[in-house]
Amino acid sequence: MPRLAVFPGNRDEVVAVVRALAADGAPFVPRGAGTGLSGGALADDVVLLGLHRLKRIISIDEKNRRAVVEPGVVNLVLNRTVAPLGLLYAPDPSSEAACTIGGNVAENAGGPHCLKYGVTLNHVVGITALLPEGEIVQLGNVSGERSGYDLLGAFIGSEGCFGVALDVTVKLTRKPAAVRTMLADFTSVDDAARVTSAIIASGIVPAALEFMDGATIRVVESSVYAAGYPADAEAILLIELDGIAAGVDADRDTVERICIEGGARTVRVARNDAERLRLWQGRKKAFGAMGRLAPHLVVQDAVIPRTRLADVLRRIREIGDVHRVQVCNVFHAGDGNLHPNIPYNADDPDESERVHHAMREIMQACVEAGGSITGEHGVGLDKIGYIDMIFSPDSLAAMCRLRESFDPQRRINPGKVVPIHSCQEWKASPAGRRGNESAALTGSA
Amino acid sequence: MSRLPSPGPRESPHGMSLQGIQEIVADAAESGTPLRIAGESHWIDAGRPVRANRIASLTGHTGVVDYVPGDLTITVKGGTTLHGIEEVTAKEGQHFPLDPHGSSEGTIGATIATGSSGPMAHGFGAVRDLVLGVEFVTGDGRVVKGGGRVVKNVAGFDLVRLITGSWGTLGIVTEATLRLYSIASSHATLAVSITDERQLSARLDNVLNAAATPYSVELVDAATARHCGLAATTSILVELGGNAAAVEAQKDALSRTGVVHEVPRQVWTRLRTADAAGTAVFRVSALPAQIAELWTNTQRALAGIEGSMIHASAGLGVVRCILPAASATAELLRRMAGENRGSAIVCERLPSDLWPHVSPSVVSDTLSQRVKRAFDPLDILNPGIMGEFS
Repeated sequence: MPRLAVFPGNRDEVVAVVRALAADGAPFVPRGAGTGLSGGALADDVVLLGLHRLKRIISIDEKNRRAVVEPGVVNLVLNRTVAPLGLLYAPDPSSEAACTIGGNVAENAGGPHCLKYGVTLNHVVGITALLPEGEIVQLGNVSGERSGYDLLGAFIGSEGCFGVALDVTVKLTRKPAAVRTMLADFTSVDDAARVTSAIIASGIVPAALEFMDGATIRVVESSVYAAGYPADAEAILLIELDGIAAGVDADRDTVERICIEGGARTVRVARNDAERLRLWQGRKKAFGAMGRLAPHLVVQDAVIPRTRLADVLRRIREIGDVHRVQVCNVFHAGDGNLHPNIPYNADDPDESERVHHAMREIMQACVEAGGSITGEHGVGLDKIGYIDMIFSPDSLAAMCRLRESFDPQRRINPGKVVPIHSCQEWKASPAGRRGNESAALTGSA
Repeated sequence: MSRLPSPGPRESPHGMSLQGIQEIVADAAESGTPLRIAGESHWIDAGRPVRANRIASLTGHTGVVDYVPGDLTITVKGGTTLHGIEEVTAKEGQHFPLDPHGSSEGTIGATIATGSSGPMAHGFGAVRDLVLGVEFVTGDGRVVKGGGRVVKNVAGFDLVRLITGSWGTLGIVTEATLRLYSIASSHATLAVSITDERQLSARLDNVLNAAATPYSVELVDAATARHCGLAATTSILVELGGNAAAVEAQKDALSRTGVVHEVPRQVWTRLRTADAAGTAVFRVSALPAQIAELWTNTQRALAGIEGSMIHASAGLGVVRCILPAASATAELLRRMAGENRGSAIVCERLPSDLWPHVSPSVVSDTLSQRVKRAFDPLDILNPGIMGEFS
């Protein structure tokens, strides 16, 4: 529980609160909508700074395809506002109906369509940031090129550890002229995984390429989010292509051929917007539907090279079997971003223990395949114990020092992302280490 | 005019290892010797003058570390040239879609360090959008990695973006993982002639809003068009790529925007090498919708300068000016700034005495100073190239 929760109603109040906290040396955690899945916005025993009331869309520049928004603006609200202009804000996390742009910036949020359009980093051109000591800095250059260090790039995805975004200037994207949404269903997970790799290797960049396994399909189909997926399939791929109509249709033919040759039972193309939205609804609400399986759910997030999908999914299945847990896979296959989810009962200590072990082994398998411990949910608290699987002590220490450039006292969102020991164990530099070694040698000579 | 450090020891043994680079930096740190970081030294005259008497070169640190074509990613050592990457990936029908101005013999390390991109940034993004992971050696000799080898990754704080465009002042890029794309099955290069400059704004609007998703949209002045082997007329060059149907449909859409010719694809290679040795190069940028105004103002400011060329990434709002170094004066740059209030001027290459008048430092703010101290506490990596820190 937070020691104190503060919900400022405008920018001046945010600045006043942060400066007061600075004067007191009090640690605090900024929070958007709290939809994050790695515990990044948890504020146990410190001050919680809720930013959801700062929800003004400050300006929309149709001609330059830019918008300036306050951090509490909900992702979908921005999209609905710019839609009549034929524009969209590309990052579309599954929590888009609730999550805020400020939170998206903190997490460098992605979503199904980032396969083609990129993540938050690629769509934010400027941020007015309030640093923990109360200083306001302009990051990026909204009216032109950047010079100097890319501190905007460093800030995006810093999980609330560098400062608070007071306003965010985003790029808007023209709506594609044509969209084709396809559903391919398979009787084998392996086939669907191999087809995913084959589509990527073909060079076509789908707008989205999503994977759901049999367990997930069945729970979605038995929920209010039923999307008409074939309930007897072991895997489905939801593939969306967009662009110039003629080109999209040619790509659709190629993708359909790859699917059928790869063992798809059927490939169905959505005939209209309603059908398209229904197919997407099932995918976007899949995590929610899993609530039907057990009282609790671990949503995991890892990335692997796209050529390794079939073997890593097989390995995940084995891990699930060994630990007697059910893994439901629903993920962004096109960029290798896995979401192995385990429904379980957290009140059962034995089951919790098994889930914990399975998760660690799954993460290990992804790292061994050449992957990463998080593709979009962030490290937060949840994955802080995994981060040394992929980064050396020197790399983690360098990240700590970057953080300290923004927040010398590590007072904002303390204890997240990089373990505290990595910051403290800043060993002597190699030059220093070598100096000590040669001194030791001299001593023994 | 060369602003290379005065001839001193050059550390570039072939087959240079990561440990070798680390040793050079550790030695320099121990003795407090400033280093000029270099790849193939093609862009060595870019940036502010560097106070260094030793060159640390990565020319020997080359090669592919990992390449699985099906993943559309490649990991290479920092001294690998863009041409080298192109050769390897083209065999698999893939490319790294970055075409910075200058020679393709430049290294990936230098490209990342300088944050250099070219016309294809319109369709594929700039360096920061295409680099997935980096390894670099900090000013105190540590080997640090950021990002990874997968296409989507938010683990840890973003050292990839930090190092991109930091001009070697935070670390020496020793390895990078890059995002690749398939080479399209069909291409077309179009030139839209602008015979009446008063139509420029409307023509640009038409091209940028056409039903097309071009790789590049580059506005070139008459001198640049001539350099590219085209008729000496202001023109909008458009590069299209995709499957045959997509390219044909886009050609149709663009042909309705004015007088459009299909031109040889080599115009891009020629454009890339437009800045000859001994030229001064700077960019002026603004919001994309102001591009026509920016273009007109820039043309007015450079009018009458023999040998100057102007081109612009129209969709990105960036105008790039190339002129003989002797013509680049503080007065001219002041005039440029005066003509284009509210826009940013970023200089690539200038006569060294001009820098203090035009752009003394881009890293004098507190935050940049702290970052610098964190990664290069002794200020031995390319000191001065981004300006002074205080």
